[in-house]
Amino acid sequence: MALVTESEFRIPASRKRLRIPEGLSIRVASLVALVIVWQLGSLAFSARYVPGPLPTFSALWDLAQSGVLPKHFNVTMIRMLVSFTIAMLIGLAIGTVMGLYRRAEQALDLLVMVGLTIPGLCYIIVAFMWLGLNDRAAVLAIAWTTFPAIAINIWQGVKAIDQRLIDMARVFGASGWRRTARVVVPQVLPYLMAAARFGLGIIWKVTVLVELLGRSDGIGYMLNYSFQMFNMADVFAWTIFFTIVMLAIELAVLKPIERRLFLWRPELRA
Amino acid sequence: MAAIAVQGLTKVFRSRAHPDGLVALDNVDLAVADHEFVCLLGPSGCGKSTILNVLSGLEPRYAGEVTVAGRVVSHSSGHPFRVGYVFQEPRLLPWLTVRRNIEFVLDSEGVPRSEWRERTNAWLNRVGLRDFAEAHPHELSGGMQQRTAIARAFAVDPEILLMDEPFSGLDELTARTMRELLLEIWLETRKTVIFVTHNCFEACFLADRIVVFSPRPGRVRKDINIDLDRPRNYEDSRLFELSVSVTHYVTGKQVS
Repeated sequence: MALVTESEFRIPASRKRLRIPEGLSIRVASLVALVIVWQLGSLAFSARYVPGPLPTFSALWDLAQSGVLPKHFNVTMIRMLVSFTIAMLIGLAIGTVMGLYRRAEQALDLLVMVGLTIPGLCYIIVAFMWLGLNDRAAVLAIAWTTFPAIAINIWQGVKAIDQRLIDMARVFGASGWRRTARVVVPQVLPYLMAAARFGLGIIWKVTVLVELLGRSDGIGYMLNYSFQMFNMADVFAWTIFFTIVMLAIELAVLKPIERRLFLWRPELRA
Repeated sequence: MAAIAVQGLTKVFRSRAHPDGLVALDNVDLAVADHEFVCLLGPSGCGKSTILNVLSGLEPRYAGEVTVAGRVVSHSSGHPFRVGYVFQEPRLLPWLTVRRNIEFVLDSEGVPRSEWRERTNAWLNRVGLRDFAEAHPHELSGGMQQRTAIARAFAVDPEILLMDEPFSGLDELTARTMRELLLEIWLETRKTVIFVTHNCFEACFLADRIVVFSPRPGRVRKDINIDLDRPRNYEDSRLFELSVSVTHYVTGKQVS
């Protein structure tokens, strides 16, 4: 009688996962195709307007060799990390309060929407006019532009918490702290990851803009500098570099964290 | 294991839709003896589940007196005794394996770590899930998830076992094997069980005694002893007759 009689039983997919992620070859091929189109484009137009892959990477190499690239890259990364941390903390606090209390939700949902709608450029200009052209203003503007999107994700996550699982833990004697750490937090984690993704996506763009408008260092500033010099190869080089860094963070940091955290989820097991 | 005594239990829910309060339970008396298997039977919304929530400490605000093994169920927080609870849905933590789900409640109840492995293995064996200890809940069928929930409830060695329509989400064939499994385990452990259901046949098959509830507000309408021999058999013709007469009590028709 204790035998399992249910007919439909799904075989665990995890145990025979392939080493090479599915679709890798297609992804690589699409990247190669992009480079080919780029090369063709550079042949069709003058190199002054469309520098090809080779001149671009050679410009990148020169920037790296001269120490210009590491210096400005560091500045940009620090600005981004500080702003990102601040935006995550504010977004987490506001989103959690909104998810937990109906009154807070009613008070804040429109404001968060407004915050999300106003273009980042407006925050940047206001911050620089209030605080002057300094890093405090830069970080404030970046964090301010980013936190509404983070708050919205956390808000949704907190609202989606399954109270029935918390009740289960309570009935079986789990303390309040234990219910939070072992039942609530794991439910919110996917939303926290989504919030971090959204946040990073916004922060890249805003940081460059801030540096272009009101700072005299960082990748945004150097992009503007290359623009003033009409040095298209450098513009391309900075852009490519930035893209590679973004991809690296996505693939080397976010994806592995996600895979570790959400190994149990069926949709991520393919 | 423990006896349960409920006296004059009244529970009123206040909400925006019912500012004067919605009476879920009205002056309910219920006594369950040690080792007894009692089914609470009645239509949806008659407050059966509310009784389980009061007993388990999920619903600490109530009027009346509720004791388990002589200890009063707290009006403020927590409960001073171990409860095993099987919900209508499995309510497993989806990010934990079957084994870790059971260890989670053992840890919550303060069972020493050295006992976890043995207890978990024993109970997974008992419900036929020995080979699925390291699987995640989504890899299991609904019936297997509910088996895990049953193993979890028994694993904490509860003083009282509360079950809230645990088989109503399963297909009838699966539900039948689950009921038989439950009765086998119950005959071995003789836990005090309160089992909530709206299924008359299920109640007759499982219970020593059936307490029939009236629709809202929930009151005890009838107390019926089920004197069928154990182990019980689905083919028993007396079981069928009993379930017909119990159905009449539930629907309010008189038995001729």
